[in-house]
Amino acid sequence: MPVNEELRVLKTLSYDATHYSLFVQAGSIGALTRPGHFAMLQAGDGLRPYLRRAFSIADVTTVAGVPALEFVVKVVGVGTAALAHFAEGTPLPVLGPLGVPFPIDDLGRDDRVALVAGGIGLAPLVLLSRVLAARGVTAELFYGGRNEKDVLKRADFERFLGAHRCAYATDDGSLGRKGLVTELLQRELSAGKTYKRLYACGPVPLFRALARIADEADLETSFALESEMACGFGVCLGCVVPARDGRFATVCKEGPCLPHTAIDWSRV
Amino acid sequence: MSVDLAVRLGPLALRNPIATASGTFGYGLEFEGYVDLGGLGAISVKGLSRRPCHGNPPPRICEVDAGMLNAIGLQNIGIDTFLGERLPLLHAKGATVIANIWGDTEDEYVEVLERIGDDARVAAIELNVSCPNVVKGGMVFGNDPVALAALVKRCRVATKLPLVVKLSPNSGDIVAAARAAVDSGADILSLINTLVGLAIDLERREPKIGFTTGGLSGPAIRPIALRMVWEVRRALPNVPLFGMGGIETVENVLEFLVAGATAVQVGTANFRDPFVSGRLVKELAAWCDRHGVDRVADLVGTLKTRPRPEHTFAKA
Ligand SMILES: Cc1cc2nc3c(=O)[nH]c(=O)nc-3n(C[C@H](O)[C@H](O)[C@H](O)COP(=O)(O)OP(=O)(O)OC[C@H]3O[C@@H](n4cnc5c(N)ncnc54)[C@H](O)[C@@H]3O)c2cc1C
Ligand SMILES: Cc1cc2nc3c(=O)[nH]c(=O)nc-3n(C[C@H](O)[C@H](O)[C@H](O)COP(=O)(O)O)c2cc1C
Ligand code: FES
Repeated sequence: MPVNEELRVLKTLSYDATHYSLFVQAGSIGALTRPGHFAMLQAGDGLRPYLRRAFSIADVTTVAGVPALEFVVKVVGVGTAALAHFAEGTPLPVLGPLGVPFPIDDLGRDDRVALVAGGIGLAPLVLLSRVLAARGVTAELFYGGRNEKDVLKRADFERFLGAHRCAYATDDGSLGRKGLVTELLQRELSAGKTYKRLYACGPVPLFRALARIADEADLETSFALESEMACGFGVCLGCVVPARDGRFATVCKEGPCLPHTAIDWSRV
Repeated sequence: MSVDLAVRLGPLALRNPIATASGTFGYGLEFEGYVDLGGLGAISVKGLSRRPCHGNPPPRICEVDAGMLNAIGLQNIGIDTFLGERLPLLHAKGATVIANIWGDTEDEYVEVLERIGDDARVAAIELNVSCPNVVKGGMVFGNDPVALAALVKRCRVATKLPLVVKLSPNSGDIVAAARAAVDSGADILSLINTLVGLAIDLERREPKIGFTTGGLSGPAIRPIALRMVWEVRRALPNVPLFGMGGIETVENVLEFLVAGATAVQVGTANFRDPFVSGRLVKELAAWCDRHGVDRVADLVGTLKTRPRPEHTFAKA
């Protein structure tokens, strides 16, 4: 059962004008969180933003010794802008952890998996990297952004996974390869490398491309999907994606982590 | 002092006037752990149809100032799954269940009613004749008093359970619709459903909602909902009403009661705060206690209005 708690803001760390990390007390949500879970945050009690906003729980960590949840946020509108300005100590209503997390229970020391992030899609992969590293699973990160500044939390990824297992692609070539992140993955697959599973989060075009690659390479996947959400716990039916069985699946309850084969990409 | 929160809407007795609105409270069970389901006045479940319905393609929702637009398209598990799997659990929790139903034709409404039969675990039927988010669906009935009267007559014959008709604010004359429903056998009226709205993504010059238009709900519609409750109450003072539209606080609840609703339904606010409905029950008792009101039912329809004066002009 997800918990609703008023968690105090511990720290806001700004990366640039449109990206920041928000750290709040972990409360009892921290211990319940698995990689891929998300939470609904209420940014103030005004009439805009009115509904809560969904964010991946990027990490369960500490701030000056205090157990904390970290959210990595990109400013795209009123809610994400408002959350950036919460002073330290402000209580923030948080509902979580929500949704179906990444499947990882079957992974062990002998396994290798691929992690693909596009833009702000890095968020759920931070805790995933931490947990997989702790289990001794070999995880390779492929992370694409517009430019070097778009690539966040590099130090954490490289600490968890090893710098040699982190590859980057940027549109302008300012970091890593100039081009698409999918090209990095394709190169490995073409060289004959295999992965037990592909974990990904990013914009729809990236998911679409990865679904094609996964079909060709017969790769098992888990995609952390996004959608506009009103409730986050399966009651409004607003957040759906077209499912392959003809239904619409709720991203908040049946997802957000779904295999690409569950989704009807022709209707997305 | 202990406050009497019980209210009676014709044949439907409720332990308190705080119910939850269809489509905003799932099948109730999703709120276990947030709300004491048996402590609510009633739970109106997501609109049920004769067969499971997939609903509309996304995007289905977007936030707007003081509320949201939705065009879910009545996605639901269907009446049989509801009766077989959800109703027994709801009943075991002591919940007072209102079955909100819809169809594309009169026959489809009647078919759903026949499946429910006289199941005593259903406290009342709520006919949704006002969903703006499907091409067919109940809206055809909600917008035409003649079609509405015919539908309600058939449903009245098809069920012995208390019959609620949920009215559309989009039909032009809500009092005419209210009369048609009551004259055809409705015991209770619910108002309002969502108001048709449009939100635009300027960059793409596309509607933000896949269905183009969506139903507006939340605090944005509260004054309109209050006005409609008051109008219907004035025209049909003996007909019990469920009032709804943007209710979030105990003051909002009381405004609806004073305007003429015997009970209210809390909708969109459940998304923002899943605890709100349960909390409102407690806050209503506390408010009455503070204000020396020992029966909440005594507040219903107590709005004091003044005669509306004709305008006057300055002398030439
Ligand atoms: C499970 C899940 C996890 C997420 N994790 C993160 C995260 O870790 N970091 C992060 O920065 N963002 C994340 N998002 C996206 C985040 O929820 C939206 O960016 C946020 O709700 C936008 O709110 P706003 O008020 O700033 O934008 P609004 O002013 O409401 O809208 C601005 C623009 O963003 C679009 N938008 C609104 N809501 C969403 C949404 N839920 N998903 C995608 N686009 C949306 C709108 O269509 C509009 O074009 C996640 C979304 C989901 C569903
Ligand atoms: C997402 C959503 C789904 C809804 N689904 C239904 C429905 O299935 N049947 C129905 O009669 N009303 C439905 N409604 C309307 C609500 O029950 C209510 O009449 C309306 O939202 C106004 O109340 P509110 O402003 O408190 O939300 C829905 C509303 C929303 C926001
Ligand atoms: S966000 Fe409400 S059902 Fe998914």
